Amino acid sequence: MSRSLNFAIFRHNPRDPADVPRTQEYRLDETPGMTLFIALTRIREEQDPSLNFDFVCRAGVCGSCAMLINGRPGLACRTLTASLPPDISLFPLPGFELIGDLSVNTGKWMRAMSERLRAWLHFEAEPEVDALEARMEPELAEQVYELDRCTECGCCVAGCGTAQMRADFVGAVGMNKIARFRLDPRDVRSDADFYEVVGDDSGVFGCMSLLGCHDLCPKRLPLQTQIAYLRRSMARQGLW
Amino acid sequence: MFAEVDVVNLSALTPAAVPPRPSLWPARMDILQSATGLFLGLFMWLHMFFVASILLGHDAFWTVARFFEGYFFFGRSLPWLVSLFVAAIAAMLIVHAWLALRKFPAQWKQHAAFWRHMGRLRHGDTTLWLVQVLTGFAMFFLAPVHLYLMLAHPELIGPYESADRVWSGRMWPLYLILLFLVELHAGVGLYRLAVKWVAFGDPRRSLRILGRLKWAFTVFFLVLGLLSLAAYVKLGIEHADRVGEPYIPAWIKTAP
Amino acid sequence: MKLMHTDALIIGGGLAGQRAAIGVRRRGLDALILSLVPARRSHSVAAQGGMQASLGHCAKGEGDNEDVHFEDTVRGSDWGCDQIVARMFAHMAPKAAREMAAWGVPWNRVRRGEHQVVINGEHVSLVERDAAHGLITARDFGGTRKWRTCHTSDGTGHALLYAVSDRVIAESIPVHDRKEALALILDGGRCHGAVVRDLVSGELAAYLAGATVIATGGYGRIYGVSTNALINEGMGAALALETGVARLGNMEAVQFHPTAIVPAGILVTEGCRGDGGLLKDVDGYRFMPDYEPDKKELASRDVVSRRMAEHMRRGKGVRSPYGEHLWLDITGLGADHIDRNLREVKDICQYFLGIDPARDYIPVRPTQHYSMGGVRTDHSGQSPWLAGLFSCGEAACWDMHGFNRLGGNSLAETLVAGMLVGESVADYCASAEAEAGCPTALAREFLEREQAELAAIASGRGNEEAVTLRRRMETVMTDSVGLFRNGPALAAAVDELADLLRRSRHLGMRCRRLDANPELVQAYRLPRMLKVALTVALGALRRTESRGAHFREDFPARDDRHWLNRTLASWRPGDELPTLDYEVLDVMHMELPPGFRGYGVKNIIDHPLTAARQSEVDELREARLDRHALQSHLMAFKQFLPERYRGRNARLDEPLP
Repeated sequence: MSRSLNFAIFRHNPRDPADVPRTQEYRLDETPGMTLFIALTRIREEQDPSLNFDFVCRAGVCGSCAMLINGRPGLACRTLTASLPPDISLFPLPGFELIGDLSVNTGKWMRAMSERLRAWLHFEAEPEVDALEARMEPELAEQVYELDRCTECGCCVAGCGTAQMRADFVGAVGMNKIARFRLDPRDVRSDADFYEVVGDDSGVFGCMSLLGCHDLCPKRLPLQTQIAYLRRSMARQGLW
Repeated sequence: MFAEVDVVNLSALTPAAVPPRPSLWPARMDILQSATGLFLGLFMWLHMFFVASILLGHDAFWTVARFFEGYFFFGRSLPWLVSLFVAAIAAMLIVHAWLALRKFPAQWKQHAAFWRHMGRLRHGDTTLWLVQVLTGFAMFFLAPVHLYLMLAHPELIGPYESADRVWSGRMWPLYLILLFLVELHAGVGLYRLAVKWVAFGDPRRSLRILGRLKWAFTVFFLVLGLLSLAAYVKLGIEHADRVGEPYIPAWIKTAP
Repeated sequence: MKLMHTDALIIGGGLAGQRAAIGVRRRGLDALILSLVPARRSHSVAAQGGMQASLGHCAKGEGDNEDVHFEDTVRGSDWGCDQIVARMFAHMAPKAAREMAAWGVPWNRVRRGEHQVVINGEHVSLVERDAAHGLITARDFGGTRKWRTCHTSDGTGHALLYAVSDRVIAESIPVHDRKEALALILDGGRCHGAVVRDLVSGELAAYLAGATVIATGGYGRIYGVSTNALINEGMGAALALETGVARLGNMEAVQFHPTAIVPAGILVTEGCRGDGGLLKDVDGYRFMPDYEPDKKELASRDVVSRRMAEHMRRGKGVRSPYGEHLWLDITGLGADHIDRNLREVKDICQYFLGIDPARDYIPVRPTQHYSMGGVRTDHSGQSPWLAGLFSCGEAACWDMHGFNRLGGNSLAETLVAGMLVGESVADYCASAEAEAGCPTALAREFLEREQAELAAIASGRGNEEAVTLRRRMETVMTDSVGLFRNGPALAAAVDELADLLRRSRHLGMRCRRLDANPELVQAYRLPRMLKVALTVALGALRRTESRGAHFREDFPARDDRHWLNRTLASWRPGDELPTLDYEVLDVMHMELPPGFRGYGVKNIIDHPLTAARQSEVDELREARLDRHALQSHLMAFKQFLPERYRGRNARLDEPLP
């Protein structure tokens, strides 16, 4: 016996001054294995072709489709409707510029964050591509990859109380990036350099350890560990 | 072909000035907030044990109280030692509160954003933070009452003296409220400190255990606190007709 | 009219496009990247298993070099590729892997000493050299003679894309995301940029550029079920096709990956089989050794996919509400291996199937995966027919994959092509040819044409629905232009697709907004997709042989005599169907003359010159030259590379002189 699902979906076109934010109801019969990707696609195809939302890989790897699912940030593409009650509310991710309905501009936020934190590997010299690559301990490479797995989906920012109150907070995504480059022996920066970009209240000292990021990260990144580690290293900078 | 449109990069022409070192105060303030919190939190737990010594008998509490007045070191009571200590705690409390205030939502917009966020997220650690804010805020008003009393009358700590203050001095409602405020705030605060500073190897497991520990401690100290308060109330009622009479243990001939 | 100027306009923010942009930027020119989505959401991110580069560090990779990689690639392509390009590629792949290592990709590394692996269902112990400790390691992939696939767990595409896009940010290359190129601006045989639509505001702008690069990925979404991201709708191919000048190559060459999960169609990496996973049927029986006793599960993708379909046709498939499938069994690899090296696979199984791959079989079946065809370019990445138009990555038919791509060669191609095409784009931009700017009036003409067309579509009151037509196209492509193809079905498919294309001009619209409006996007993309689909279907109909992934049941032989060539498709304005012609592959210049791939029964109609070329090659080989000298005699290729990339690749056994 299939359930009938009631969707309450946020609708708003910020470019239309006359358009008032509202929620719109849609009803859909659940099918086996239905994900929110399948459900939203069906709603758009069968009921409302104007509904905006973002899916790209639809496989949980690209980070496009994060939204508030019954109030909590998550990746819509890999959320099975069977895991939800029959009343499902969908809202755009808070903390990001709204494009329309469920679509938000996470890309713009992430690029700005990367530029501000200088979140790229600072290497000593351009590689000599003909020669053997520099060696790296296998375990260390795996540890770097563990932190490199972030998909910039924005769930940690949407799940962060600090980020919701302070628009300039870098969020766990930013701190994790710094932790990743800090761990990487190929990056020539020192802690003093990292302190310049995260050593204040919009950086690691703004974090109040509410753990929303850690508990909601779709990739289950060890964010608590990394932020604690980063906080200690950055605090050490303040001791002299 | 559009390359020459690029204007000269000015920053490349300025002498290689050393960029000003960023302020170290954010780091120091963060350490200070945590350090004062850690001290106050641990002190409150110890304080609870001191207070609860009443459950072991009048003499036990009397001994603890005199201990802090240096009775066992100097052979006589020096209540101003207690005043000094109280003043230090009060100072620490002020610093801690001042530092913590930075994190409070300052504008209505931030307030609303946090409430909305907390409401929809239904996430334990996020909700607990509001508990921190509210208990901290309330303590900022209530704790000074107790602190001032201790500062002004350090000698009035003893089984009868304290019981009289609780009952006949009508302090018990304040202490009842403070008990909950302090234990919640300290329990959550110490838990938060661990989460903030300890890089757990297996965070998911560690946080689960830590979460349980936090509640266990909070419940333990609440129960201990309630029992102690009940003991003082009982003693206060019994001693109500002799208010002002200090307690002197039977094995001491003269008052210290 | 909004005008943007840049030296190189890169359409597509995946690995190939971003790497090309960096190359251009480093030559002191301006590059600008257009992307449908934030660049880090590009489909490159979904590549899992790894990229091939013949580093030869790990025990099972010892003795590997460019020659082996080249031969694997050519065999994999079923001799359909451009061997010079395959050579350039094999030479460049180690450089690409090393550049990425320096840019921060956390490649999995060789760990000295003994370790356990699963090969052919058996636990085997391997010993890694001390000398290789800490160098990049590799895993096994299908169709390769050495373990050559460098990887970061099974998130290689992610790690590469992030490293490359980090550099794009570091070098301040602008990425204009949520923007779509609607049409190329051309002046006869010269491309000047594109008319671009802002997918948020709906505003059109003319982006004028010295060189325009199409790096938009594949066209998998013309099929109903595909492992591709939703954005891989072939819009890059359509852009080129609609010029009427540029041509597409080998559009009928479409790869089906053996292991996509059922029903979601999400890929689980070939690394599953490379690491020792097995394919099993309804009875739990491992069937691949019966069909391909030599390579078994690790035969070329086209072969494994066809064998799976064949086995299901014999009634050995597992029935499910979503049609038949087979099982992928990686339970033998152990939970620890899966947790470390197949993490994405584990996540996918958990979230989309509700199973644990360490304990349960994974339901899989062959699913559209890769587009070997694309915008035909020369060795430099430029369209021979439209100057100033370049293409690289999956979007291009540069042609290193021929009729079947080896697993792990696509990630490698994106980087290698990005490195090389970036250089040739920069060369072109610096040349006198590129200096002829675009008259503003011309840009205005193109922009207004697109504006009018959009307005017409948005106000459409016809009786056709885009969704319905699109679903029909997907069904036709899946049913008739899939793994197995035959003349009558293909002919019917071409007719129906042509009919769908006519009908797609009479859409009725419900939402007429010109800004962020998904219905409008679907409406203007549909006819373009149908045109791309028609090049695929018509190419498949005309090619009366079987080669690589293109398999004709009515023409099962590989016919080198008549079909050792490359299909070229163009679309003349006003036509109902694409125009096809063919470009001959010259046997007498092949380093590796056509031969038997070693799968199934040999069924080849030889080219008349194959034997002659083979004896030439054999004669040279007998001269016992060192491998580099021999290679340059067989087929010189380094003249096509930029000077900076001509050096030899160091290996433990082959240190640099």
